[in-house]
Amino acid sequence: MGLAAAKNKRKIGKDPNNTKWSRNTESFGQRMLRAQGWQPGEYLGAKNAAHAEWHTEANAAHIRVVLKDDTLGLGAKRNNGDECTGLDAFQHLLGRLNGKSEETLEEERKAREDLKLSLYVEQKFGAIRFVRGGWLVGDQVKSVLDGAETSASESTASNGTRESTETNETTAASEVSEPAPKPTKRKADDADPDEEKTRKKDKKSKKRKTDSGSEEEASGSKDGKEKKSKKSKKSKGEEPAATDSAQSASATISETDEVSAETSSSSESKKSKKEKTRKKDKGKKEKEEKKDKKDKKEKRKKEKSEVESGTETGDSAAQSNKASSNGTASASGSTPAESSVSTPSGSGYSTPVPTGSSRYIARSRFIAQKKMALTDAAALNQIFMIKS
Amino acid sequence: MADSTKTLKRSSTERGGSQDTKRPRTDDNGVDAMAAKANPYLAHLNQEDSDGPASHSFKSPLDRMERHNTTADQALKAEDSDTNPWTGRPHSQQYYRILKTRRDLPVSKQRQEFLDMYHSAQILVFVGETGSGKTTQIPQYVLYDELPHLTGKLIACTQPRRVAAMSVAQRVADELDVTLGEEVGYSIRFENRTGPKTLLKYMTDGQLLREAMHDHDMSRYGCIILDEAHERTLATDILMALLKQIAERRKDLKIIVMSATLDAQKFQTYFNNAPLLAVPGRTHPVEIFYTPEPERDYVEAAVRTVLQIHASEPEGDILLFLTGEEEIEDACRRISLEVDEMIRESDAGPMAVYPLYGTLPPHQQQRIFDKAPEPFRKGGRPGRKCIVATNIAETSLTIDGIVYVVDPGFSKQKIYNPRTRVESLLVSPISKASAQQRAGRAGRTRPGKCFRLYTESAFKKELIEQTYPEILRSNLANTVLELKKLGVEDLVHFDLMDPPAPETMMRALEELNYLACLDDDGELTTLGSLASEFPLDPALAVMLISSPEFYCSNEMLSITSLLSVPQIWVRPNNARKRADEMKQQFAHPDGDHLTLLNAYHAFKAAEQRGEDLKKWCHEHFLSYRHLSSADNVRAQLKRIMETHGIELVSTPFQNKEYYVNIRRALLAGFFMQVAMRESANSKVYKTVKDDQLVMIHPSTVLTAAYDWVVYNEFVLTTKQYVRTVTNIRPEWLLEIAPHYYDLDTFEKGEIKSALTRITEKVRRRQAMKGGK
Repeated sequence: MGLAAAKNKRKIGKDPNNTKWSRNTESFGQRMLRAQGWQPGEYLGAKNAAHAEWHTEANAAHIRVVLKDDTLGLGAKRNNGDECTGLDAFQHLLGRLNGKSEETLEEERKAREDLKLSLYVEQKFGAIRFVRGGWLVGDQVKSVLDGAETSASESTASNGTRESTETNETTAASEVSEPAPKPTKRKADDADPDEEKTRKKDKKSKKRKTDSGSEEEASGSKDGKEKKSKKSKKSKGEEPAATDSAQSASATISETDEVSAETSSSSESKKSKKEKTRKKDKGKKEKEEKKDKKDKKEKRKKEKSEVESGTETGDSAAQSNKASSNGTASASGSTPAESSVSTPSGSGYSTPVPTGSSRYIARSRFIAQKKMALTDAAALNQIFMIKS
Repeated sequence: MADSTKTLKRSSTERGGSQDTKRPRTDDNGVDAMAAKANPYLAHLNQEDSDGPASHSFKSPLDRMERHNTTADQALKAEDSDTNPWTGRPHSQQYYRILKTRRDLPVSKQRQEFLDMYHSAQILVFVGETGSGKTTQIPQYVLYDELPHLTGKLIACTQPRRVAAMSVAQRVADELDVTLGEEVGYSIRFENRTGPKTLLKYMTDGQLLREAMHDHDMSRYGCIILDEAHERTLATDILMALLKQIAERRKDLKIIVMSATLDAQKFQTYFNNAPLLAVPGRTHPVEIFYTPEPERDYVEAAVRTVLQIHASEPEGDILLFLTGEEEIEDACRRISLEVDEMIRESDAGPMAVYPLYGTLPPHQQQRIFDKAPEPFRKGGRPGRKCIVATNIAETSLTIDGIVYVVDPGFSKQKIYNPRTRVESLLVSPISKASAQQRAGRAGRTRPGKCFRLYTESAFKKELIEQTYPEILRSNLANTVLELKKLGVEDLVHFDLMDPPAPETMMRALEELNYLACLDDDGELTTLGSLASEFPLDPALAVMLISSPEFYCSNEMLSITSLLSVPQIWVRPNNARKRADEMKQQFAHPDGDHLTLLNAYHAFKAAEQRGEDLKKWCHEHFLSYRHLSSADNVRAQLKRIMETHGIELVSTPFQNKEYYVNIRRALLAGFFMQVAMRESANSKVYKTVKDDQLVMIHPSTVLTAAYDWVVYNEFVLTTKQYVRTVTNIRPEWLLEIAPHYYDLDTFEKGEIKSALTRITEKVRRRQAMKGGK
């Protein structure tokens, strides 16, 4: 919440845990226990009890809990740095700076607009998404019901392969990074209509929307690393079935991992060399931070393209440019807006933050102003100090 | 009638095919007898028929049965016979109707298997999910095998909750076709409905423990069944350890431990690898959903999920788990409002929303069993009900029709910190076992869905495996006192399934020593022995026992009863101001204990005037239910006091010492719960010896900031509060509890210097008196 949060002052005593008492070895209680043969550090209870294997730390010391006085959901962290939104406005600009083609930029913009729309709908009606966690049959959790198991996994697998070939064809440029992570994503979404036909139509259509959204987004951004991180995040929350069937694709994943690691390391070493030479060349350049950063990005872009065109023979310059540009984007730290593309809610939480507060209104006005600036090329150049 | 006869016949022949050939015949007899009974003109025949043999020889089918060597067939035959083997009276029509449903229960198929195991082992672990019929059927199976009318040894079945003990006893009495309180009875804390004829007794686990205090071997019982052992209540844990010991001494005592979850292995190991019998429950698969990301606000998310289910999922009721009364009421309100809007705006089906929590009045708790509302018009969207409950709906209550479960992953759990001596209910994450249990609720009637408002990784990483048993979460002062009374000398090596933390045990011993319930060698004193007779916390019991010394035992009895029931003050959200004004009418400037007493006196006065008490309570923002249960508790405690010869006295009300005496008497039990104001003009108090900084709870009636207060409880919220507070004088502390206020045991600080000053003052005053 930061500085705007309500202050919660609380005076804490000198010894809030009363260690004074627990350190006191002369207390009546401790004397009694010792008299009956207890030694500090031991459990109470029968000696050599067979059930002692189940004893936990709760049997040794009192249970400690964190005092919870809010309605923060399980596993959610307060202020994990994604509260501030609005950076997606810069995506267009950043993409252009990174040399994306107009079509991809257009697609990205569309994806963002879809996202905004679904976000709006969500805030209006409050949709909550769930991921499958398998079936509880009797007392055990199964990933898939017995009867449906084989067919479901088959269908998802076939989906995956089909999908990967598709992407291979359409986005040949990113052949290294693209195909591997994609199928798992698709599968998670595809599994739904396959397994469960009883679902209502509106739900399905919603799913489809997110599906198509992710597709667009996927074909739009050819960001290998980012996808990977997203994938790993996802797979944690995914049901075992999906990960199972994903194993077929895992081989390719690891491969791509290696390749990308190689290229990046080689480019790193080259970069440093190049930088030096470049610094000499353009010594008169301004020293401002922003400028510097931008420079580096451009540099890296060039270097990468060189590296790739060097190693991978068939690639055209433009394609490698694209791929590398995304590498730099992720290297410079994935922006929250970008990472939120997979889940329509921009906050990273399933439930969108309630809107309508005055703070939010002020903020959205601010964002709107910035957006206006973005449409003006001259203003942009001024902001990023580009001399055209 | 004709229909039910037919179905009974059909089912009996089906069973006959699989068992023995003679069965259908006896069954048909039963049906004939039933038909005769149904006809009022034949009633006299029937009466003669059954009364005849019963009156002179009573050829009971039990006669041929041999104790601990019966078979399921014999028992079935006895159950099918025309006359009730336990009463000798003919079976009623209702009996056969129930019998049919009983035979359909999952346990019924394994009756023979159960008996075989029961005969071969002394301790048996039985696992069956809720709905398998174990609570009602197993004790009856034991009854037909144990034949307690021959040995005079009863069968006991314990339940963790009073309500369960009462309702199950009633159900079983109906099933056996006997009157509740005769052959089948129950015994709970303040109520005993058993008689000399009682053979099967349902009771709370705490009640059995109380009985064991006077009968260390539990010699009245031939078989003890511990039901719902998976709940691991404090009393069940102690009973298990105790029975494990007794089983060594009494080889004739049979013990059955029943659990609803599959962590039975722990039970088996604990009872020296006792055999296990598992009955599959009738459950359907439940599909589990997680959220892809953590939720920012679980209440908000829960409400939305319910609405989403209502809008997009097929027919079926919803069960939502939340943590506390306030949260539940709030969520109910929000859901109802949103659903109303949904109905107005679009064509949504009707939805009834019911809250469910422990302190809800019984008739409102009953409402959760109402049918879901009908659709608005024929063929319209189906109606459904949504129950918003605490974790009491997790294991204890079975609600049919639940198809969707929404689980935010939290519950309110009791936590005890022996260092600060604070026992409080705190919202904390549930355990994995608990989450599975919650999900299982969705599969009672048909395949269901469980929506967990957390990620799968949170489920795996943030939740503990099993919920901690109560014994690890409670103040053990009362338990230690009970154990001492039960004759357990070696507390360190007492074989508990989950031994408590040593510090918790130390604190309990220490408190009992200060209360003079244990002497310095750890032996039970007379006071301790007397205190253990009261079903109260030791501090309250000691306060009550020593109250005659302060000439106010009547008043202390009232205060004790009022402190052992939930808050009597009602403060509805929409009338807070009025409620506070009403409370001011009873307020006593010296404290909340005295205010409680005033309210109780006013309540009794209204009763004597013959007013409508419910109305009176409603007008005065008091809880009629809690006041009358306090009245009931008072009567019970009074009886205990009378049997132990504790005088009931009062200071005359006109005497100016009336309230002073009460305040002093409070200290006799609560001298360990005293706080001193940190400094003048400060609102912060410091507890004596533990040095915890606390504030007085805003609900207090105290207006002036007194320097010394005694408090009833320590509440942990965002701040640390003490609740139910009364002003006292420090001199009294030195006088009433000199061993606790021994200045040598205090560390240097404000409290010590304040107490030293007071000692000096008292000495000077005495010296002056002596001089004169």
